[in-house]
Amino acid sequence: MTALKAYYNDKEPYVLGIGFIVLLLLLWQSIPYCFTLSRGMALFFTTPTKIGAAFYQLLMNGELEKHFYVSALAFVVGLGLSILVGLPFGLLMGRSRILDALLDPYVTAFNATPRIIWLPLLILWFGIGIWSKIVIVFAGAVFPLLINTYVGVKNVNRVLVNVVRSFGANEWQVMKIVVLPNSLPYIIAGLRLAIGRAILGVVVGEFFGSSQGLGYMIAAAASNYKVDIVFAGVFIFMGLSLILTMSVKGLESRLVSWRPETAKTF
Amino acid sequence: MKISDSYAAHQRAVLGYCSLILILGAWEFLLTYVFPVNPFFFTKPSLIAAAFADQIAGPKLWHDLAVSSRAFLWGFSFAVILGTPLGAVMGWRRRVEYTLDPFLTAMYASPLVALAPLLIVFLGVGLLGKAVLVFLLAVFPFIFNTAAGVKSADPLLINVIRSFGGKEKDLYLKVILPSTVPYIVAGMRLAIGRGLVGIIVGEFFAASEGIGFAIQNYGDTYRLPEMFVGIIMLAVIAVLLTEIMRKLEITLAPWRAGEEVR
Repeated sequence: MTALKAYYNDKEPYVLGIGFIVLLLLLWQSIPYCFTLSRGMALFFTTPTKIGAAFYQLLMNGELEKHFYVSALAFVVGLGLSILVGLPFGLLMGRSRILDALLDPYVTAFNATPRIIWLPLLILWFGIGIWSKIVIVFAGAVFPLLINTYVGVKNVNRVLVNVVRSFGANEWQVMKIVVLPNSLPYIIAGLRLAIGRAILGVVVGEFFGSSQGLGYMIAAAASNYKVDIVFAGVFIFMGLSLILTMSVKGLESRLVSWRPETAKTF
Repeated sequence: MKISDSYAAHQRAVLGYCSLILILGAWEFLLTYVFPVNPFFFTKPSLIAAAFADQIAGPKLWHDLAVSSRAFLWGFSFAVILGTPLGAVMGWRRRVEYTLDPFLTAMYASPLVALAPLLIVFLGVGLLGKAVLVFLLAVFPFIFNTAAGVKSADPLLINVIRSFGGKEKDLYLKVILPSTVPYIVAGMRLAIGRGLVGIIVGEFFAASEGIGFAIQNYGDTYRLPEMFVGIIMLAVIAVLLTEIMRKLEITLAPWRAGEEVR
């Protein structure tokens, strides 16, 4: 008994956390057994087992793979472009006060406004193919990366920069020896935020004017009242973003174990 | 000497305005004289300004903004009312945090806008569907930031209150509340951004009024200047709201300013 108790005390966070999720799923599953749903409600209702069955079926008939491939392509290309643009611009804005002043109005305005409002315009310009999705993913992901890189560069210790300079380093060497290592934790944190924004961009981009992708799958299923497929899609997105953000978070906590804890952000 | 001094003091603002004017001027010039392109696909500042003057005078823009802000305010208020107490309990009671944290983290990390089609089909295209979407997106920053704020309360101060015979009420009002408020304001800034996404996606999806609907409708009918008016209005509101929150954050907790990433 005491061994069990000690084991429980050791694992309490996991037992309670996983237990709560299991309890919620069981409650959800048991609703149709406890209440008789009206026909209108039954149309909108589904249970975890039905969602699982829908997922299995989508997996088996290859539909999931097809949609996943399209979404993943938009995600990877958009995020890759945003890294290619966000990092250099963040570094330059952090190092040059003039460039910072010139670009700051745009960065502030674009960052504060949800990038989703550009979607109708992007569909007009790039069509309903993959390019409008890539651009919306890029627009969502580039600002967290740029701003975090900028903040990281700004927080560099002046003394270290001056020391390296006094020993004859040029701007490139200052960047390589002091600035980049110091801003790495910020860049990783920016990457985590960017992943969340990029997934949001994929989902919403594919909702409208699209014929492929996981977002399209959800929207089409919702308009056909296939609620189990909608939830299967939502859970797939949930799983993907959890896996991606948690792995970046693992990297982050290894790099910045000394930083004070702040609230979670996604 | 005088001029160069005042330039040095306001260099940032001067350069910022210069770059805005330069970009707008170049945009206008290029589209008027260099490539006069199809007005269905591109537009230029002078046309946007004309549409802006036109829209501000008429009732439609204001009506759309009012419709959207009503849904936003309902969702956002419920997010505050439910999110902060839940976060406070999570921050104060260890077992509650253990129980709820994995579930809520999964919900926070996942793109809940994916539920938008279902919510709209289920709750309709009116106020309710949009407000629920805003609530779902905006509630998590409140929960997690309040919890972090409560946990950040200095244990030393809590012990001092207890040793000097302070009541539970003193503990809550004098230690925990002051250390939590800056976190809640920071959460509010995040929640505003997420709530705006909720409103826009809800209105893109299915609506007959509202600023998101207006933007999409103008896009569908190739009326680009009017569409840009909507985008600019939304951008101005978003920037104003986030800047107010940032100022509030700096006033309430100057020691944290600039610490957190945006």
